[in-house]
Parts: sequence; C-alpha cells; structure tokens
Amino acid sequence: MNVIFAVCFFICTALLLFIDPDGALASMLAGGEKALALTMKMTVIYAVWLGIFELAERSRLTEKFARALRPLNRVLFGDLPGKSNEYVSMNISANMLGMSGATTPMGIKSIQELEKHPDTSYQIAMFFVINATSIQILPTSVLALRTSLGSLSPSDIILPTILATALSSVVGILLVKIFLRKKKK
Amino acid sequence: MKYILPVMFLLILAYALYKKVKPYDAFVSGAGQAIPFAVKLFPYLAAIFVLTELFEASGASDAVSRFLAPAFRLLGIPEELSKLVLIKPFSGNGALALLTEIYKTYGVDSYIARCASVIYGSSETVFYVAAVYFAGAKTKNLTAPILISLFASLCACVFACFICLVM
Repeated sequence: MNVIFAVCFFICTALLLFIDPDGALASMLAGGEKALALTMKMTVIYAVWLGIFELAERSRLTEKFARALRPLNRVLFGDLPGKSNEYVSMNISANMLGMSGATTPMGIKSIQELEKHPDTSYQIAMFFVINATSIQILPTSVLALRTSLGSLSPSDIILPTILATALSSVVGILLVKIFLRKKKK
Repeated sequence: MKYILPVMFLLILAYALYKKVKPYDAFVSGAGQAIPFAVKLFPYLAAIFVLTELFEASGASDAVSRFLAPAFRLLGIPEELSKLVLIKPFSGNGALALLTEIYKTYGVDSYIARCASVIYGSSETVFYVAAVYFAGAKTKNLTAPILISLFASLCACVFACFICLVM
C-alpha cells in the first residue's frame, strides 16, 4: 500500500502542478470531506448492527448459527479458531442476504478475532477475498437507476450480474486455495 | 424481501428475552463499539479518498484508461468501459457516477449500458474493502489477496461483456 500510495500521489500531484495548481489542495480536501461523511454514515450503521449482534451473541444465537454453517466454513477455511467461527458465519450470511450494512462490522470483528490466533494468514486471506468478490443477489442501486432513466426492461441484468459475481467468487476462492493454502504441519 | 429485516430483529429480541438476556444493556454495550471502530477507520478512508480525488482531478485516470483500453479490447471489454473497470476497485461513488454517464450517452438498453450494469453490479470496491476491514489490523501484507481479488473481478468483467452478447 505504501508503494501504491507514493506512486499515485507523486504522479497525480505532479500532473496537477501543470494542469491546475489550485486543484491539488482542493481535491485533497474534497477527498477528506467525503471520507468524514462516510465515516459518520458507517458509525451509525455499526452502532445499530453491533447492538443487535450483541443481543444475538449474549443469547447464544450466533453460536447455534455458526454450528449450522460449519460444513461450509470447513470447506472454505479449514479451521476457524475460537469465536472467529461465529463472526465469519454472520458475515458470510449477511453477504449472501445482501445486508450490506451488517457485513462490515462483522467483517472487522472476524479479522480482529482471527488475528488473535497464530497461523491464520490463510483464513484471513480467504475471508478478505470472499468479501472483496462478494455475491450480491440483487443489484438494487443499478435496478433503481435503470428504471429512473426509462429502461424498457431494467431487470434484464439481474441474471448476468449473479452469474458474473458468482464466477468472480469462485475464481477468487480457487486462487486462494491454490496459492495461499496453509502448509500441512 | 422487505419483511426479512424486521422479522429477523423481532426473532433476535424474542430469543434474547427467552434466554433472559438484558436487552437494553446488551444493545448499549454492542453499540458502544461503533465509535472506536469509526476512529480507526477514518484515517484509512481519508487516505483512499484523497488519492481517488487526486487521481480523478489530475486526469491520470483518463490517461491510464486510454493506455489500458487496447489490452481490455483484447479481453473483449469495449473501450468505452475501460474507465469504469478501472475506477470500480477504488470508488463505488465514482463508478456510480460513471455508470449514470454511460446510460445517458449510449442509452440505458444498449449493449454498452447493459455490460456496464453487470460490471458495476458484479465487482466490489476492492481497495475500499481492504481499507475498511484492515483498519487498525496487524496484518500488513495484503498484496496477494488484493491481487487475487482484482484478478477475480477482472474475470467477472470479461465474463459480463461476453454474457451480455448472448443474453
């Protein structure tokens, strides 16, 4: 990330020096503003979902849930130590149900929990790739936009989208399995 | 679909009451974790967004997409879409703005527009996910997972352009 940051920052700022010197600081501030707006939005989403999740956790509902998803998790991750099994299960099901608000807090908790245990870099990589190529069942924002612009059949794209996103998840999972599989002790 | 969430919330609360969990205390302690998360998250988002804005404003994004267009062409991705493919891993909002522009320029039901819809819907903002999930995490070496995710998203884009030809 440090290399990417340095290269992008240097080239972009150097270009702006010639095109629009005033634009450099202005666009950086605009970026910071967007980041703050998004952080505020995320805080609210976190608060609600983490509150609900704490309820489910204290009543041991998440434990039951994780047990139900264990076969799937075993295929994808192998071992999930400690409580990470619960968090990962919640995150994956939220992903599949398209509850985008709930995935992030569960995702962060999953990573934090996985990091507490040794030798979990494979699980962390797999978990990240699944989230970064996540299956979105209903592309709601695209549908809304198409409808508002007068598309004759806005829902045309649903099936291709599901197929394409499923393909990307499968490719991602296979590549992690091939390249980052944990060495057997 | 719209009934799922409220029903789920009711079930969770009902089950918690049945298990004699104190609901108010539990909710408050869960919600309290939100602020520390946000505090960790903000600097990473700031870095990503500052970079994205610079990338756009300097015209570098146009230059790179022009440069990559022939390579994308070879993979079956129309060059009108190369900028969308490029911007999507960085910025969801940027991609959405571009998608709207594509709809208006080429018509919502054109091949280009349908491809763009599938590309937008099928790939994630990889760098954003990386920044958010690993905000404050100890894992620093994300190169391999990020490359894998980007490659998988590119596969989805190529597939999207192909499937829109037949469907």
